Amino acid sequence: MSSQWDEEREKLLPIIDKVFSRGNFVGGEEILDFEKKVSLICGVKYAVALNSGTDALTLALKLLDVGVGDEVITPPNSFIASTAAIAHLGAKPVFVDVLDDQNMDPTKIKSAITKNTKAIMPVHLTGRMCEMDEIMEIAKQHSIPVVEDSAQSIGSQYKNRPSGSIGEIGCFSAHPLKNLNAFGDAGFLTTDVKEIAEKAKLLSNHGLKTRDVVESFGVVSRMDTIQAVILNHHLENLESVISKRRINASIYFEILNPRFVAFSKSRTYALDTFHTFVIQVDHRDALKDFLSSQGIGTSIHYPIPIHMQPAASYLNFSEGSFPITEEQSKRILTLPVNQYISEEQISVIAKKVNYFFEEGIHG
Amino acid sequence: MKVRYSYLPQQFEDADDLWEELKEFVKTGDFTLGEPLKEFERKFAQLIGTKYAIGVNSGTDAIKLSLKAKGVTVGDEVITAANTFVATVGAISELGAKPVFIDCDDTFCMNTDLLEEAITDKTKAIVPVHFTGYMTDMRKLMPIAEKFNISVVEDACQSILGSLEGKNAGTWGNAGAFSLHPLKNLNVWSDGGLIVTNESDLANELYLLRNHGLVDRDTVSIMGYNSRLDTLQAVVGNWLIPQTHSIANKRIENAAHLDKHLSEIDGITIPPRPKDYKIVYHLYIVFAEERDALLEHCIKEGIEAKVHYPIPIYRQEALANLGHKEGDFPVSDAHTSKIITFPCDQHLEEEQLDHIIKTVKDFYSH
Repeated sequence: MSSQWDEEREKLLPIIDKVFSRGNFVGGEEILDFEKKVSLICGVKYAVALNSGTDALTLALKLLDVGVGDEVITPPNSFIASTAAIAHLGAKPVFVDVLDDQNMDPTKIKSAITKNTKAIMPVHLTGRMCEMDEIMEIAKQHSIPVVEDSAQSIGSQYKNRPSGSIGEIGCFSAHPLKNLNAFGDAGFLTTDVKEIAEKAKLLSNHGLKTRDVVESFGVVSRMDTIQAVILNHHLENLESVISKRRINASIYFEILNPRFVAFSKSRTYALDTFHTFVIQVDHRDALKDFLSSQGIGTSIHYPIPIHMQPAASYLNFSEGSFPITEEQSKRILTLPVNQYISEEQISVIAKKVNYFFEEGIHG
Repeated sequence: MKVRYSYLPQQFEDADDLWEELKEFVKTGDFTLGEPLKEFERKFAQLIGTKYAIGVNSGTDAIKLSLKAKGVTVGDEVITAANTFVATVGAISELGAKPVFIDCDDTFCMNTDLLEEAITDKTKAIVPVHFTGYMTDMRKLMPIAEKFNISVVEDACQSILGSLEGKNAGTWGNAGAFSLHPLKNLNVWSDGGLIVTNESDLANELYLLRNHGLVDRDTVSIMGYNSRLDTLQAVVGNWLIPQTHSIANKRIENAAHLDKHLSEIDGITIPPRPKDYKIVYHLYIVFAEERDALLEHCIKEGIEAKVHYPIPIYRQEALANLGHKEGDFPVSDAHTSKIITFPCDQHLEEEQLDHIIKTVKDFYSH
């Protein structure tokens, strides 16, 4: 984060200064500018700037009339926000297990559909898009709308279609740790449906049609103007951020020893953007400690699956409900991949991982 | 002469030191629940006089999260004022609860004499709105709430440092909700809000609710929201917070000046200014005869006068399902045709205030 600032301060400060000298803190042309630019990148007609990716998910489901008693199908290995969005609307999260690449298993969706299913919410985890053809086909057969949780996958593609452009609505986060990041919470949703975009805009601003007329109850979920300014600037670098991350990932692919380390190779028909680079290994915790002792920070996304969280206890799942997710939660490890890490550093990390296994350091 | 309503361009004219702090802050990358936020929360709690202050994404969220933490859910009723800003009612509706309205009196706050008859066995909370910088009569409200064991979340969004008998807005109920929206008396550079409380259980629940229910990085104890006050905005808040008392005092001074001269004009009625109330004038509102013509005249003379609000909340489209009609809340209704809001903020010059007075005087003298 601080490397990012060092690089950008000279360019950013004058732009921020200009906005604040006008006293323009909420709304404004910077927001419209951002919405226009990001809609082009995401390959949709409309983008609506919001306060966070979480808000984008809640709002998207709300716009599809998801409410008390409805069900939404989603994977159990995402960040909690995906499921919380469903729960807050009084709907029931219905989980389906994932594939080896940590994304929703399309073959398991059909048996999860009931007459109460109101939406399917695939999560493009790690910047890798789900098998959208299969998902969309099932959704169409049952006339159920699809909300893409694209929080980790700005710029990712599936068969030349950008993340967020395939389902009815795409939901994005621009949290400081995302590939396209603001300096605070921010998010947006994407759609080709004009009515959805208009309603989203209305609901994100108290439901205010004009200053004085409240058409329907909304929330306050406006993107801060300052964050839009920063995002407009970061959009210019998005392509190079993604390409640097892809180069870093390709070095891992080349060096990591597949005898010990499992990872999701890129598919010919998809473009992965590596919000995170996740490997699956035996002796995960020992490897994490070893890397840490070598000065390499790693993390786990996420060690406790959502269905095993105390917050989800009311759904009455137990261990074994989603075996692949549970197994992966014990084996996954996220290696550094961001654009500020040099190719040399990546190859050093990859070699340390190999060394750990090849030398049998785990004992 | 121009008397503009928004003073934001002026407020940060002389803020070089703030810019320096922001530059230092951005280098730390501490953007989410960072140190400056904790500092701001401490200072705000101290300013208002509570044990805890919890930074959230907006004043609306401050109300919503407080009600949620107090267990308000689908089917419950929440009592609030019939003349508030949409956000209060939006927060109640978001939780699936039903807003139950009470008419206001000439202080623009809930008439607490009407409170008891509005309570049913479904009433889960009361949200008094300290509208415009006035205070709801909490001396009367709290005993009723206690008698029926109902939670109180004060909507103090417009009344930072407003007080009644020296006790601040936000410190009377279980929780107080504040907004830091750019047009508020203490503001940041975006949406923002704070919840104050003395109850440690409530504070702990709110820390969870605002941050995805995360107890630690990996454990989710309840279904929460993403409603954090941006740490970057807390840097702005820390810079402004020492000015809060003087902002309130300057507004009070400006209001006194306007009161003194406008009260001499036939056609203008000043709302009651009870001695034991400290009114902080987020909005300076008076009652005017021929209001629409006066408004038009003021705007023509360069004064950005406004109406807060021309359509009371209970008659908005969004609430059509509640079946309210004109006349249900006669005082709120009567206000809509005679209230007018004049600029009163801390950045106004005396000659601008005098221009308002002269313009109003001219209007009624022909």
